[in-house]
Amino acid sequence: MRWLKSAALPSLTLAMLPLPAILCSPQNSSFVHQKRYAMGTVFEIVIYDEDLPRADAAARAALDEVVRLDGMMSNYKPESDLSRMNRTAHFQPVRIPREIYEVIEESLYYSRHSDGQFDISVGPLVDLWKAALAGGPLPTAADQASARRCVGYQKIELTPPDRIQFHSDCMRLDLGAIGKGYAVDRTAEILNASGIHRAYIDAGGSTIYALGAPPGGTAWRVRLRDPSRKLGPEVMLRNNSVSTSEQSAPSSLQGDAPGHIIVPGTGKPLQTRYAISVAAPSATASDALSTTLLLLGPTKGAALVKTLHNVSAMWIDSDGQRTIVGDGVSFFLTGENRPIQVSPPKNRIAATSKAANELLP
Amino acid sequence: MKRISFLRVLLLGSIAACTPVTAKVFLRVEASPLPPADKTGIQDVVLLWPLRDPSVAAKLHSQGYRVFLQCESKDLAAVVATADRAAVTGMIVTNTVPSSQFHAAERLHPYFAAHKSLTFRMLVPGGKQPQLKGRLVVERDGVLQISSPSSQPWLDTNLALVRLAQSMDPDSLPIIYDFHWDTSGALPDAWHPDAEAYAVAIAEADAIRSDVTIDLPSSLQRALVAGDPRAWTLWKGIMPYLDFSSHAATERMLPVANLGVIVDDGQASYEAINLMARHNLAFESVRPSGVTLARLSSWNSVVVFCPLNKEAVALLRDFAASGGIVIFVNTHDEFSWHSAPPLRQESRATVYSIGAGQVVELPEPVVDPENFARDLRRLIGRERSALALWNSLTTLVTGYREQSRSDVTLYLVNYANQPDSVQVQVKGRFARVRLESPEQPCCVSVPFVERGGFTEFTIPALRITARVHLDSARESSATP
Repeated sequence: MRWLKSAALPSLTLAMLPLPAILCSPQNSSFVHQKRYAMGTVFEIVIYDEDLPRADAAARAALDEVVRLDGMMSNYKPESDLSRMNRTAHFQPVRIPREIYEVIEESLYYSRHSDGQFDISVGPLVDLWKAALAGGPLPTAADQASARRCVGYQKIELTPPDRIQFHSDCMRLDLGAIGKGYAVDRTAEILNASGIHRAYIDAGGSTIYALGAPPGGTAWRVRLRDPSRKLGPEVMLRNNSVSTSEQSAPSSLQGDAPGHIIVPGTGKPLQTRYAISVAAPSATASDALSTTLLLLGPTKGAALVKTLHNVSAMWIDSDGQRTIVGDGVSFFLTGENRPIQVSPPKNRIAATSKAANELLP
Repeated sequence: MKRISFLRVLLLGSIAACTPVTAKVFLRVEASPLPPADKTGIQDVVLLWPLRDPSVAAKLHSQGYRVFLQCESKDLAAVVATADRAAVTGMIVTNTVPSSQFHAAERLHPYFAAHKSLTFRMLVPGGKQPQLKGRLVVERDGVLQISSPSSQPWLDTNLALVRLAQSMDPDSLPIIYDFHWDTSGALPDAWHPDAEAYAVAIAEADAIRSDVTIDLPSSLQRALVAGDPRAWTLWKGIMPYLDFSSHAATERMLPVANLGVIVDDGQASYEAINLMARHNLAFESVRPSGVTLARLSSWNSVVVFCPLNKEAVALLRDFAASGGIVIFVNTHDEFSWHSAPPLRQESRATVYSIGAGQVVELPEPVVDPENFARDLRRLIGRERSALALWNSLTTLVTGYREQSRSDVTLYLVNYANQPDSVQVQVKGRFARVRLESPEQPCCVSVPFVERGGFTEFTIPALRITARVHLDSARESSATP
């Protein structure tokens, strides 16, 4: 997996700042802070716990799991399970590990709910533009057409409990837009199972999960990306996640440098002035939704969010214009010194993943 | 770019003097006992001035160490007097006078020249522990903050610091840098830093080809003296890196660089240059007085961070006309090429086409060094890059060429505590590629391919450091 989303995003500023009134500055609290490079970014875990050796061991085990998942889901490591699947699943079903099956299953859920804007088969198009992003020539129309032929989530067939088949001779999947979120959720599960109840898990700043609350506090305060630098958006997390997504900044030296997020429908880099933050109960959901909703934009994206439960989304552009929807946790605009209230709409479906396919239309 | 061979010869001669020869590890210790040098694998130790007990230096000397005293420039006279009595090899001088490194070295140089029996190093301030950084900073009171706005893995490296120091003071003293260990996140009762942290610091100095001073924590020093098995287990994890570093070439080497950086104030442009290093842009930095035809002939791109005189501007115009890229940062000067309309004009950049090349003028300083470095890498492109890595976000590479040959040696440092599969592209054609590392004594042949004037190969599992030797059988074709 190239994990292109995390590797190329320039500045998804997710900052966790002291909030004395809420966090009560945990003087003398004991904590463990570990980090590990995986999936093209740095995973970090901070744990507050009275038993430091236990916390240390739990953080190590959780990060070991992230590295294991990276080895399984990487699409640039030829020996990974995902690479093997990408070589062999054309026109015949192949068995895949449970973890990859779950991630693909959840990916298809978001593909269907976004009319294909979220699509893990977009890899051939991403690779095409990646060369241009690195300073190479822009791909020709013929190149784009050739790559588009390999793209389309409808050509992926999952057969429970562990089989997959591609109905295309050139399809290959890239889990970069959702795999980090899945790894963060696995990390939280391992910490929970180890008896850890106060932890902050950060995957390169673009996907964060907060387990419990810091000592003396009710939640973890997270500062969110704000392209306008006017609004100071923040969110309070407790047993939930936030992810941020944004197209690469335009080049200051070249006029035609493309961004790294590709629109599956057009096969071209997304042009948007927005950064988006999505809060959801799971990191898998927030990670996938952040890409999906950035691609959809605020109008169509808001319509999707209104069908989901416990999800909040916030689009902010460089002028400070924003759209905030959802019935999940509230976003705060500290620049305007007020919380954003969102009224809960009706008739939602769950954004959490485990039963995702059962809810498909 | 048109290449002129006799100018290359001039270039080799002109910059050989400023290229450091050694990348020694100096261990800064407490003025207390230390195991003998043949046990630690260290030759050079540093004691901080003032010494309470000068006999410590003599004792360390008798144990096989070369002893250096680190002092401020104002204390130099007293330190030299002590050195004569205490078997001291040399001094590491810190500049506390509020002047630039360049002026400090200039001022002290006559003093050093008068004491030829002693070895002097000028300490470059501002070093940092080389490491992969996260986004979170955990402070002592438990408050958490984000340290970096970038989601890219952030590497703290001293490459830019040293390159700038070398360009500021090319003909004066040998330099040395140091840093303090980052103790955040250390568990009580655990050795900190761990062996990997030492290994990265040693490997980085090797790659930069600069001397470095590394602190030996007093607790570890005492434990080593006491024969604590845990302490020795840690130290034995470090020794292969000391040994590997000590076997690097000591000939004067020329950095492999396709990008020139012209700078007169290292501090003002430091962060931009730091990010250029971080993005593996193969660069050299020079002061404005170093802009010569010979120098330009080895580059295909130049970034200018300071005002230049007319002669230098004319040289850069010709450089661009023959296919080079020139980027002027924070410039409002009038240039001769302004007589023609720009190729492109935006609020953040104006681009002029000049002959086969182009000039980019930025009206402001670099406000986002990360984006600037990434944009620069895109603008230069792979075709012009002397060195490039794929899918290796945690590895930095430096390259050096021997003066009289076209053989190239690459130094790779992986800052993550995870083996990295590193795909490397080097401009030029080579007959043989050989790899050595602390885990793999010199040398194993590495399969490679030639593609479009580049040599490409993969290092399957770079743990912390490796050197790659690219041997040229066709000397004339292995050009940057």
